[in-house]
Amino acid sequence: MTDGEPGSAARASEPDVVLRADDLAKTFRLGFFRKRVDAVRGVSFSVHRGEIFGFLGPNGAGKTTTLKMLMGLIFPTRGRAEILGRPVPDRQAKQRIGYLPETPYFYEYLTPEEFLDFAGALCDLPSAVRRQRADALLARVGLDHARGRPLRKFSKGMLQRIGIAQALMGDPEVVVLDEPMTGLDPLGRKDIRDLILELGRAGKTVMFSTHILPDVEMTCDRVAIVAGGRLRSVGTLASLLSPRVLSTEVVLRLAGAATPPALPEGARRLPGDGVAAVELPAGADVDGYLRAALDGRATVVSVTPRRESLEDVFVRQAAAGAPGSAPS
Amino acid sequence: MRRIAAVARNTFREAARNKILYSLLFFALGLIISALALGQLSVHEDRRMIRDVGLFGVDVFSVLIAIFVGVNLLYKELALKTVYTILPKPIARWEFVLGKWLGVMATLVAQIAIMGAVLALTLMAEGGPDALDAALAKALWLLLMNVTIVTSVAMFFSAFSSPFLSGLFALGVFVVGRSIPDVRALAERMGGGGGRLLTAACTLLPNLHLFTPSGSALGGVTVSVHGSFVAASYLGWTTGYALGYSAVVLACAMLIFRRRDFV
Repeated sequence: MTDGEPGSAARASEPDVVLRADDLAKTFRLGFFRKRVDAVRGVSFSVHRGEIFGFLGPNGAGKTTTLKMLMGLIFPTRGRAEILGRPVPDRQAKQRIGYLPETPYFYEYLTPEEFLDFAGALCDLPSAVRRQRADALLARVGLDHARGRPLRKFSKGMLQRIGIAQALMGDPEVVVLDEPMTGLDPLGRKDIRDLILELGRAGKTVMFSTHILPDVEMTCDRVAIVAGGRLRSVGTLASLLSPRVLSTEVVLRLAGAATPPALPEGARRLPGDGVAAVELPAGADVDGYLRAALDGRATVVSVTPRRESLEDVFVRQAAAGAPGSAPS
Repeated sequence: MRRIAAVARNTFREAARNKILYSLLFFALGLIISALALGQLSVHEDRRMIRDVGLFGVDVFSVLIAIFVGVNLLYKELALKTVYTILPKPIARWEFVLGKWLGVMATLVAQIAIMGAVLALTLMAEGGPDALDAALAKALWLLLMNVTIVTSVAMFFSAFSSPFLSGLFALGVFVVGRSIPDVRALAERMGGGGGRLLTAACTLLPNLHLFTPSGSALGGVTVSVHGSFVAASYLGWTTGYALGYSAVVLACAMLIFRRRDFV
């Protein structure tokens, strides 16, 4: 674990920690024979004020169960959670949180205006404030034009946007979004990504779960990776990714009588259209290979060192959490 | 209070936009108005017929609506997952249950008011303003108290079982509750363990017979919705009984709802 979170000095009483999970675990008993299913097996992490925190994991990793425990929808079998220094599910803490559930379902007979008014009333806001916030939020999420349309006529992207708007009705300090980009087209995903970045710029703390890695790379300050109900890593992207070069990709153009240099041991040719592309393994003599290429009158088009990507880390951690693998 | 009112308002709005409820209401209104034709078939008993059929319609349909809405209320929130958006907001689970109950009660008050108004108009169409009296208003009030209990019982079952089972249980409680005097008499006749079991059931289940007293002997006097009906004091204590019983059942529903995992 990169940050060394559990039992560390990262306590909720510290001013910059707004959300803390401490050894959260949930076991379900399913079916007639009450079969035991360990959905979450002791997850500890903290989210700091003002950061965008990605909660990464493959399907079935325990992301949604963890978020539901944080929101007070599910009672943990073990461990505890605190939001803004108060134990979940404290009403004062809930007053300062906005939450978007996974694949949100709303009262489809309501219009966005009615729904936001309802959400505002649940946050105990007076009528005038509700109206004002609903107007501002509808404009902010780009649904001003659909304010009188019932939610049953909304597309998936529009529902996701009204879902974010309802999460923001109470002007929360912490916004928790469960899979906000899932099922959206690229434009819809970009909209939500931009909205998350905008929330971050506005000083909100955002935590969102996802398994879409580019979204995490583009938005998150820190990430946690869960797999098999356990936390595998947590930290900044830089701290999670190894700076070590895994391989180097060299692309050459061979014009006229130019000849490619001999492949060093462990290297492999890559498919290339009109160019010669090779992947040199870590530790290969890249300089020597380039010299040989130039001596053979080849033109060097590009030299790209490949370092560990978030996808590599994710795949490695997810594989570690897969059934049958040794627990870490 | 604002949070509870918001849930109640939303529940009422949901019912007001539910086509099935309108269908039930139209059936009830059809039955009440059809009493005019039935009245014509009777000999000098037109008003009695209209009043009996009309109150029967209000009773049956208000109970059906109460069970239909009551059993779906909490279950639908879970099945449609709308509860995931609501409960993370700063609202306590008991406030949510209370708000839902108040919303259904507002719906039933509106439904009974509409059915009562149509019954009153039907009676006036037959016998002019003289056809209306306090007994009619008292009978309608008692039917409202009746569905107060039925709704609470239906909601209690819906806190932990499916709408179908909740509906069966609630209907069972209604049927037995309406027959409490007969069940008590049966318990006395049976005696022994079975009799004691039935007596215990009568103590636990709501006495819904209290809300349709017409034809019963109260304090040695037979009351009738067509003549001398119940006194104000009877309305007072039966109202207290209905609200008290509902409060206990609702508290049980809240306790169950409080510990539920919303997976």
